[in-house]
Amino acid sequence: MFKATPLTRRKAYAERAAQAVFLAMTLTMVVPLVVIVAYLFVQAWPILSLDFLLTVPTHGMRAGGIWSPLLGTLYLVALSLVVATPIGVLAAVFLNEYARESWVTRVINLAVVNLAGVPSIVHALFGLGAFVLFAHMGKSILAASLTLAIMTLPVIIASTKEALSSVPMAFREACWNVGATRWQTIWHVVLPNSISGILTGVILQVSRAAGETAPIMFTGAVFYKAIPEGTLFAYGLFDQCMALSMHLFTISTQVPDLPKALPYGAAVVLLGVVLIVNALAIVLRIHLRSRKKW
Amino acid sequence: MATAKVEFENVRVRYGRQTVLKGVTFDAREHEILGIIGPAQSGKTTLLSTINRTIDNVPGAVVTGAVRLDGRDVRLTRDVFGLRRRVGMVAPLPVGLPLSIFDNVAFAPRMAGIRDHHELEQRVENCLRNAALWDEVKDRLGSLGTRLSGGQQQRLTIARALSHDPEVLCLDEFSIAIDPVTTMRIEDVLRELRSKMTIILVTNLVQQARRLADRTAFLFNGELVEVDTTDVIFSRTPASRRTYDYVNGIFG
Repeated sequence: MFKATPLTRRKAYAERAAQAVFLAMTLTMVVPLVVIVAYLFVQAWPILSLDFLLTVPTHGMRAGGIWSPLLGTLYLVALSLVVATPIGVLAAVFLNEYARESWVTRVINLAVVNLAGVPSIVHALFGLGAFVLFAHMGKSILAASLTLAIMTLPVIIASTKEALSSVPMAFREACWNVGATRWQTIWHVVLPNSISGILTGVILQVSRAAGETAPIMFTGAVFYKAIPEGTLFAYGLFDQCMALSMHLFTISTQVPDLPKALPYGAAVVLLGVVLIVNALAIVLRIHLRSRKKW
Repeated sequence: MATAKVEFENVRVRYGRQTVLKGVTFDAREHEILGIIGPAQSGKTTLLSTINRTIDNVPGAVVTGAVRLDGRDVRLTRDVFGLRRRVGMVAPLPVGLPLSIFDNVAFAPRMAGIRDHHELEQRVENCLRNAALWDEVKDRLGSLGTRLSGGQQQRLTIARALSHDPEVLCLDEFSIAIDPVTTMRIEDVLRELRSKMTIILVTNLVQQARRLADRTAFLFNGELVEVDTTDVIFSRTPASRRTYDYVNGIFG
């Protein structure tokens, strides 16, 4: 066998060192996350209960729960996804499956990429101008959801295109060769094999839509709105609403003499919504990928 | 003399500025195996894609001249999907669609509107038998086509190409990714199928054309060098010196 020489020993040492550095970097990334989550939970612990989730704020936000902002966030996120998902997915199908390479498609693709990078406050101003004022929706759940939809749309398009283009071209060619139309090919072969990637991309936008404050601040979210407890249908489409992200911001900065646990409670609920949705995305992806067919 | 099934008349194809076929004229006749040989980049694959017009899907491809199927220019047909069903196409690398074995073969009939399950079962069995795959997969038609071995997948691809009752079967270097035993089995299959359809066999393996083809065309650099009976092409005296050199491995 080979004997260890100074060279091989040096290489083995470098290998171990490299591994240690990479491990350290990975831990550096994970540690703040764990610390933040743990800190939030510890601070919020006295206040967390089912009651906290299901009652509305009282005493000028200094007591009660967070039902109204939680429900508002659910409304905003759900409605924005209902709008953005079909448009985004279908646009991506067009761009990836139908559109031929031309300056028009290049401009569209460039626009999609750049829109994804626009700061959310700019989307907020657009929403204010286009939906609240121009379309006379007023500050409302509808206007805020549409603004969130515009914000998430380019990312949904980009992630859907990514998922579609991961389906090998040979599958499409095989379908065309036996006389299938483009749409039959997309429906029977391309979409079933990219659905996990598409859904993952869409679901990850839930957490983004739930967390953003700026786009909804001008377009539909308010400081306080009284709603009845115990019903899921407390808000109407043209009502203004409370939202978790906005609620957290306002109680932390605008309400004096606030019980210390309250903002942490709101933060934990917001984080919980996001984590639950992300976990859902992971489970879904694992489930769909276990059916991966090639 | 047998009638022409597929006629190429002065077919020119360019992709953007690059011309890949420079005016090719010959035909494939009813119930024959026509071999097309030639080195890489000679335009063989492009020629096949003009028959079922999958070349329409290639951005920037421009076709001039005429490709006729039963005397009708394929570019005049309104129903390009119907046209593609008249032509079976087998690609170099086996492609099992990510569907069950049954659905792989039933795909084309279903897309053509056949819903009757009994009829689909009949067709699937026939096609798999014709592709010499039935005995190996008859007990697991529900398992994924993509999980078959390479050679089995290539026979599955052939079964799929047969599933829409083509009049012409085009094979593009079908044996490139499969073992010699499977290749021999598929060659036997092709000899059987000759009585039912026209077979156009593009191949890099000169000896494969010699074994199978009734007539052989030699394409080189986008031009037809010559087309004749396989016996002549592989004789000491084909019309062109280049043909002799190529089939005897002196260049190419």
